[in-house]
Amino acid sequence: MSQFRAKRLDIGCFVNVRNLRDHNKRKVFAQFEPERQALRYIIHNTTLPQRVCAQAQLQLSQMHCYTRFTQVKNRCIMGGKGRGIMSDFRMGRFQFRLNALSGNIPGVRKASW
Amino acid sequence: MAVPRSRIVDLLRVQCRIFNTTFNPDRLRLGTKILSQRLRGPAVASYYPPRIGTTQDLRKLYPEYDVVDEEEDDWIEKLKVAKLKGKNPPKKKRTAGESKKFGKRRS
Repeated sequence: MSQFRAKRLDIGCFVNVRNLRDHNKRKVFAQFEPERQALRYIIHNTTLPQRVCAQAQLQLSQMHCYTRFTQVKNRCIMGGKGRGIMSDFRMGRFQFRLNALSGNIPGVRKASW
Repeated sequence: MAVPRSRIVDLLRVQCRIFNTTFNPDRLRLGTKILSQRLRGPAVASYYPPRIGTTQDLRKLYPEYDVVDEEEDDWIEKLKVAKLKGKNPPKKKRTAGESKKFGKRRS
């Protein structure tokens, strides 16, 4: 969604529209996380009046979908792939192999026994 | 030997004071689980590496130095040449009258 897009390119890895979108989602999620948690607290607290709970539920459901964590997906920072990502290295399996074999990832070596 | 409830409640109160948790002997659902959750926003938002070391950053950091960017110079040179040839972008239309699109619609 364009209202969340940064005015200037602010990621320094592989850039395509899906990576940019995911980055936007992550930033929006971080921005609205306290608000979401506060609403969730109100909903889960049964000692509050029922009306307040219902209002909080409504407000939470009307928040933008980019503020939801389920929208966020780990993508490859070297090639933009969305599947087969090793989250420890933030890379797709093939990019991980290439970078590991060329020695760009510290502490990783090819197994041999 | 049965322990009286008041003793257990006292123990719970001390336990909550020591471990800094909410004292809730009636086991009401207070949502403290959500309040005690850590915010993961900063960790999530820093997944992609930030863009650093651009020419603009350098210029902002060191305004007293003249930072040369060859690609940018080439681009400006190209724009100058295009302007000389009359191939520069058209001027922005400020009013509806200047705009060709709206002029056509009226006639």
